[in-house]
Order: sequence, then C-alpha cells, then structure tokens
Amino acid sequence: MAFALRLLLRDLRSGDILTLIIALIISVSTVTAISLFIDRLQLSFAKESASLMAADRLIRSDDPIPQSWHDKASALELEQAENTSFRTMIFAGGALQLSLLNAVTDHYPLRGQFLVDDTPFGGGEATRKPPQQGEIWLSSRLASLLDVKMGDEVEVGETSLTVSAYLVRDPGSSSSAFAVSPRAVMNMADLDATGVIIPGSRVRYSLLLAGKQEALEQYENWIKPQLNEGQSWRTPIQKGERIGDSIGKAQSFLLLAGTLAVILSGIAIALASQRFVKRHLMQVAVLKTLGATPATLIQTFLIQFFMLFVVAVAVGLAVGWLIQGLISSVLADLMSTALPEPSPRRLWLGIATGLVSMLAFCLPLMQRLINISPMTVLQPAIKLEHNTVIIYSLGFIGMFGLMCLYTQGFLLPLIMTLAIAGIAVLVSGLGFTVFRLGRSLTSGATSGWQIGLASLYRRLIPNLFQLLVFTLIIMLGLILVGIKTSLISDWQRQLPADAPNHYLFNVQADQVAAINQITDTLEVPHSEWYPMVRGRVISVNDTTIQSLYPEGRGEPELYERELNLTWSDTIGKGNKLVAGDFNADGLSVEQSAAEEARLGLGDELEINIGGNVVTLPITSIREVDWGSMQPNFYLILPKKTLEDYTANFVSSVFVSDSHAQAFYKAMARFPTVSMLNVGELLKQIQTIISQLSQAIQLVLICILAAGGLVLLASVRATLEERLEEGALLRVLGARKALVQQSLFVEFGALGLFSGLIAAAGAEACLYALQVFVFNAQASWHPLLWTLGPLIGVMIICAIGLSASRTVLKVPPMHLLREF
Amino acid sequence: MAVKTAIKVKNLTHTVTANTGDLTILKSIDMEIKEGESVAIVGASGSGKSTLLGLLAGLDINTAGEIYLYDHAFSEMDEEARALLRGQYVGFIFQSFHLLPSLQAIENVMLPAELKGDKNARQKAEALLARVGLSERLSHYPSQLSGGEQQRVAIARAFASSPKILFADEPTGNLDEGNGKIIIDQLFELNHSQGTTLVMVTHDNELAKKCDRQLVMSAGQLVEK
Repeated sequence: MAFALRLLLRDLRSGDILTLIIALIISVSTVTAISLFIDRLQLSFAKESASLMAADRLIRSDDPIPQSWHDKASALELEQAENTSFRTMIFAGGALQLSLLNAVTDHYPLRGQFLVDDTPFGGGEATRKPPQQGEIWLSSRLASLLDVKMGDEVEVGETSLTVSAYLVRDPGSSSSAFAVSPRAVMNMADLDATGVIIPGSRVRYSLLLAGKQEALEQYENWIKPQLNEGQSWRTPIQKGERIGDSIGKAQSFLLLAGTLAVILSGIAIALASQRFVKRHLMQVAVLKTLGATPATLIQTFLIQFFMLFVVAVAVGLAVGWLIQGLISSVLADLMSTALPEPSPRRLWLGIATGLVSMLAFCLPLMQRLINISPMTVLQPAIKLEHNTVIIYSLGFIGMFGLMCLYTQGFLLPLIMTLAIAGIAVLVSGLGFTVFRLGRSLTSGATSGWQIGLASLYRRLIPNLFQLLVFTLIIMLGLILVGIKTSLISDWQRQLPADAPNHYLFNVQADQVAAINQITDTLEVPHSEWYPMVRGRVISVNDTTIQSLYPEGRGEPELYERELNLTWSDTIGKGNKLVAGDFNADGLSVEQSAAEEARLGLGDELEINIGGNVVTLPITSIREVDWGSMQPNFYLILPKKTLEDYTANFVSSVFVSDSHAQAFYKAMARFPTVSMLNVGELLKQIQTIISQLSQAIQLVLICILAAGGLVLLASVRATLEERLEEGALLRVLGARKALVQQSLFVEFGALGLFSGLIAAAGAEACLYALQVFVFNAQASWHPLLWTLGPLIGVMIICAIGLSASRTVLKVPPMHLLREF
Repeated sequence: MAVKTAIKVKNLTHTVTANTGDLTILKSIDMEIKEGESVAIVGASGSGKSTLLGLLAGLDINTAGEIYLYDHAFSEMDEEARALLRGQYVGFIFQSFHLLPSLQAIENVMLPAELKGDKNARQKAEALLARVGLSERLSHYPSQLSGGEQQRVAIARAFASSPKILFADEPTGNLDEGNGKIIIDQLFELNHSQGTTLVMVTHDNELAKKCDRQLVMSAGQLVEK
C-alpha cells in the first residue's frame, strides 16, 4: 500500500498520471455538469409547465376524491387543492346560460395565477387567490350573455353568488381551452349549498398536488395502482401538450448532448490510458527484473487506480458542480425565473462515469502492463501479448452501458453506436486508400509534401486511429450544431412572435364581415374562418358508445363530449395527412384522437348533429400541430354533409399589446362572440422555448469545449513520435520550415479527411435523429459540409503546429536526448 | 569448505518462432557458474548472448532443459515465484540503463529495497550512491544526468538489494571510453567487496579479460575460451 502510494506520488511529477487524472476529471466533470444542469432545467420546465396546470401533479377522477388520498398527501407534506368541474345552468334575472363551472378550494391554484379584470374583455391582472365564499367570477362572455356586471347576483342551483371579477384566464384551463362553454369560477365552500351535484351528474373531480419531487414520486407510486378507469394521474408535460412536445425535444437534445459528452470522455480516457500504458511498459518490465511479482504489481496498480478514481471523481464532481453553477448564473440573467437548486442525488452519474471509465479502459490496459515480459528490457522489440479486441470491446461495452444508463433507453445509444461503427469502416477504407495513393505519388524527402504524405502511410494504423478520433469529435460537434440549428428554427417557425394569441368563436355567419372590418381597420392579422357545428359521436361500427362504455368511464375524448365539427376542402395549416385521402367522401380524424379511440381507416362513426344523425366512414387520418395556435379539429367532415347546417365560425387573431384595448372595445359590440385570450399562455410557452434555446446553446458550447480538449489530447498523443522524426530530420540538416511543412501536410490531410467524413457521418446521424428521435422532417445541412473540413484543417493544424512550435526552437540534440 | 554452485544449466535449448519458421537460438548448452565467479559471455551480434542472459536470470522460460539458481529450478516455477527469486538473488545492469524516468536517482536506487519492504531503503541507497560518487546528485532525474552517471545509478540500484548474482548486459555499450572505465572499475570493486557472482554479456575484449572466465557464444553453442 505504502509502496504503491509512494510510486504514485513520484509518478505524478512525470505528468503521465496527471494526464490520466485530468482526462478522468474532464469526463466526470462534463457529465456531472451536464446532468446537474439538465436536472435544474427539467425542474424549471416542470415548474413553468406546472403553472399551466395549476399544480405539480393532478389526479382527475369521475368520483369524489377519497379522504385517504388527502391523508396520504398530508402525510407526505404535499400541498393540496381541489377543483370540481361541471356544466350547469347559471341564472341572472330572466337570462340563463349553460356554463362550465369550476369550484375551487382556497389554496387553488398551487402553481400559476388567475388573470382577472374588473372591466369586461379586459387584459386581466394576476392573482393567486380564488373567489371568496359567496363570490363568483364570470368570463366576460358569460357576463354579457347573462347581462350582468360586477356586483350583480347570479344564481347557481339553490344559492346566489355575487359577481366579483371578470375571469380572463384560469391557470388550470390551458388544454382543451378551445372547446369550452363559457366559464365561471366559484369557491368550493359554496358548492354544497348550490345542490347542483346530485348522483348521476357528470362531474370531474381534480386533486391538485405540489411539493418536493421525492414526495411526489412516492405519492405517484402509492396512488397509481389504485386508479381505476375513470381516474388518471397527470404530469405537467402530459397536461400542457403544446409545450410538452418542445420540452420533450429539448430533453432529447440535452440527453443527446450528455451522451456525446460520455463518448468524448471515453475517447479522452482511452487516449490518456493508452499513453499511460505506453510510457509505463518499460518501467513495469524493469520492476519485474528487480523482483516485483505479478501479485505485487496487480496490488500496486489496483491501489493506484483506486486512488486515481477517488481523487478524479472527487475533483470531477466538484468541478462539475461549479461549472453547472456557472452556466446557470450566466443563464440567470436571461431567464425569467430562477433555476431551482440541483439535487445532489444526480451526482451518481458522474461517479458512474468515473467508475465505468476506470473499469472499461484502465483495468484492461493494466492487464497489458502486468503481462509484459521482463525480457523486454533486454530485447525491446518483443511483441506485447495482448488481446486488442477484448480491450476495445470492454471499452466499447462500458461506454454503451453508460449511454444507456444516461438516456435510460436504447434508441439513442444504438443510433450513435451504429454511426460510430459506420464511421470506423468508412475511415479505415477511405484512409487506407488515400494514404496509399499519397505515398505512391511521392518519393524522396526533398519537400514537406513528400515527407508528410510518406509519414501518413508509414504510420498507417496510428494515423487511421487518429483519423477516426478526429472524425468522431468533429462529427459529434457537427451533429450538435445541426440539431441545435434545426430544433431552434423549428420552434421559431412554430411560434413566431406574431403567433395568434386570441381565439374568436361562436361567430355567426353575418358577423364575419363586420369582424373582418375591425381586424382590417386595426391591422390585426387573423387566420382563416372555419365554419363549426357541434355534434356528438353516438356509435362506432354500429355499436353505441353507451354500450361500449356503459358506466361512462374511461371514454376516449372523441366520445366523451360534444365536439366541434368543421368542413373543409383543403387540409388546413398545421395539419399533415398521415393516412388515407383527405378529399374522399368521409371523415378525417386527428391522429392521437384516433389512436386513443382505437379507430382506423374504414371504421364508421355515427354522429348526432343537432338531432340529425349522419354515418360516415373514416377516410383519412391527420397529424395536427397543436402548437400552431390555429383552430384545429378532431373531426373534419365532407362539405356536403355539413353545408346545410347553421354554423358559427371560428378564427384566431394576433392582437398586439398596443392594439389590445381598441380591439377589446370594438369586440364588445359582439357580446355573443367568445374570445379566448391565450396570450399569457403563449408568452409562457415562448419564455420556455427561449430558455430552452439558450440552455441548448450553452450546453453546446460546453460540449464543444470538451471536444476541443479531447482533440488537443489526441493531437498531443502522437506528437512526440512526429517530433522525434522532425528532430532527426533537423539533425540531418533539414530546415525548420521543411519540418513544419511536413507536419502541416500530415495534420492538414488528417484534418481535411476527418472533416469531410465527419460531415458525411453527421448528415447521416442527423437524418436518423430527426426521423427517429425528434420526429421531425429530415433536411440537408449544407453548413456542415463547409464547417467540417474547415474546422478539421484549421483546428488540427493549429493545435499540431502550436504544440510543435516550442520544440522546433530548441536544438535537435536536446530533442534526441529526450526521446 | 566447498564453493557453492550459483548457476547450473543442463542441456538448455531455446527455440523462438520467427516468420521463416522455428529458429533454435540455443542448442543443448551445459554450464556451471560457481559463487563469487565472474564470467563474461562474448560472441557476435545476434549469436544469442542476451537471450541466454535473460534465461539465466529467469526473465524468460526456456523451451527445453533445466536452469538452476542456487538449486532452485526455474523451469518448475511460475512468474510469481521467478520474480520472488529474482528479488532475492539477482541484480541487473543494462546497456541502456533503464532507470525509471519519473523517479529521482535516489528513488531509482531505493526501488529494489522498497519492493522487499526494507525500512532502511533510503539510507542504503544514499550509501550506495556515495560509493559510485553521486552523493551530490541524489535528487536529479535520469534526464538530468549524463550517460555515465545514469549507468552509475544503475550499478547502485543493482547492488541495492545485495544480490548474490549480478547480470550485466553490455554495461559499457552506450558509454565512451573514459566513462566505460569508471563503470567497470566500480562494478568490479563492488563485485569483489560484496562477493557477488557476475555474469556479463559484452563485446568489449578488455572488459571480458577482467573476468575469471570467458565463454564464447557461437551458432547457439557455448564454448570456454
């Protein structure tokens, strides 16, 4: 033990161990920093999206929430609130209106805020408190339909409540916000007095929860097995579907970035440990001649590697923690909300990286050291007995395992592994052909070109290996640049700054022209007008919905309520045909709704539209981009089926802040028109997306920096041999310029090839990632084909030549003595 | 009192596999070296001198025949046992010194004693370095020493474990005449004072003549000169 430590400390001075430690520290700290940072971002996104759901988690039930669920939440110290949602008639004077009423407890919302105003159709101010007992908030539209104003009384069942504000937005209403009856919010304490909930009423009970992640997870594990068909556990990502998609993609990106960090660190450690072994082979042989037994050596190396592991992991974790803190503090200025603190339990990934790297790269190489014959000291040419295949397989398996652990899946690691294998084959084939061609075209040593090209072929295997490493690092960088560019532009395309922020619906045909006039006058852009009728699916393939779901529980959304139906000759903006023929004489169904109801092409639906029943087969399935903020529909019918019905119209408009007051005032002329302000929601989504974009840029910079370091390590790994040759050439009378030129040719050629192959590999990888992981449209990336070779030549030459600059200054004799 | 046999070789044959097929480097060699003797093995380059030295020191395993080091048969031992035996009986000096570049002169000399767990490793090493005239260079690294100085450190290291047998492979091969002479003098001086058996491979006839016996390696056979 003492001997091993003494030897380790003495070795530290030589720098070889230091290189290995630094490689380990870089890998542990990169992975730690990224995983902690991702954790914080995820927590932050979860918080942001929780505000769209009014809670961190939500349980929805068709039955009242049992007391035991509350008790469990209290035991876990979770905050709780309840929301009981139902449709009911609200009366005022002689008027009555079917409304969607939410009765909420005093702590509602747990996340996010209400927007309320004291003038109808106002923009709204934020508040976290729900209406007090005896009060009710009505949406401006409901207030106009009932012809009531602030301070008036309305009747809900057997009780009367005072209107105390106009409701602009309820934080729990973001999804399916579009297809709603006019809304109202009241205090839960008044619910019993109304007497409107009787056995058989269709009521949606929600238990909202907020609190620590661990407690929420414990609650989830406890509650999930108890949920029946009419009950569901919801997370913010599920609920805020629109941003869910963006966050999902960002998470995939960050995971990918982390995976690349794992690969990069694997390369760094492989390079460092190879160098370590190369420099220690003779030392071990000498130790053997001095009487060191294999058992002593194994013990010595195990102790040394353990110490390296402890030191590197400890420092790596600390550095990783600091780096993510630094990134977060840089981001803090750009972000609207502070990032939550990272949870220390994410540190295990850094520890696992250190451990797997050690086991996968250092230990197999240690075996090489132990197996060296002591005879090497007398006959250095003796070949090392080692099984390269096993060594590299172990490293490879280790890295693959780490990637799987990291992404908690196989798809990403598989794509990356296949890409690397493909690149390895391509690099070997192309490299061999080109290097041999280069050698056959040149002979002699009069120019740097000849020497450089000859060197490429002479050191074929190390050069091919180095070509592979360069290619991989450049390729990883290019993949990230490509994904980042297409992700961010994808988002910006989805949600431009002038994305519609208000929906207008319940517009009568004769109001369309008048509203168009208002929007034209105020220069408010609006989308197309879609005609809309309401209808309910009553049977599927001749089986009634009632017999399919006798208790009315667990119904797919398509059957659960009255739907907004439209007709159109053309497939709308933000819609993509997935199957069938849109213009055929049948129904077009939105993909996820079809999947939920297990419907396919050819299934027949019977729909009740205002008392008339129509039966139509499904002839097309559409994918709908719900993030487009365009009016979208689950079901689109053929024009001839619906054109005779009285329809009202729907559209979406973008109202800028400066036009808001004028627009609201003008629209007050149409009290029957419903206007849903999704501006706040949109702003939240845009905030999240801009945070994601910034986060992604920062992570990208981190990974590229790590990649640069690995590149540097990789150039340095073979520099000695190249410089030794350079020194010899100088001894033989070559000018410094000739040596520099030959190094330039060698590094330049390596850089150019690796850049080109990397561009090809990145393009192929991006295709697979876009299609399989990000579910996006594949596209070409011309930028990569310029960037790849350029980066390759410039960076590798710069690193190579700057590293050799100092050595070229000293007299050749010094160099030869060193080698 | 009868002089002990330090090394005994019976019918030693060694074959290596080369590209052109099996190549027999050593053919049925028999020899005996007594304790305290100094023996030079001479011969042309590639005649198998270093291979024989390596086999005698237990650095490699012979194809056939037997080698005994103080009655311990190498052929019956695994690498673990051979290493222990080396640590106990053997010291080495190499043509290219083979000092560990990351260790200072003193640390290089301490190594064999440290491997044995000797608590007085440093004092012994200092004394030995003083005997080869390097008291002033204890904390120098090999790259900071001249070739002659490096070989003197190597000699000090070889004697650090108080070996019974010292194997030297061309100890002056990389040195100029002056330095070579110093090395030889120190080597023989330590050899006599410690009663060590010396087995040396060399091209240098003058050096060979200083030894008690000279063996000539030729075509895989060993003959007394």
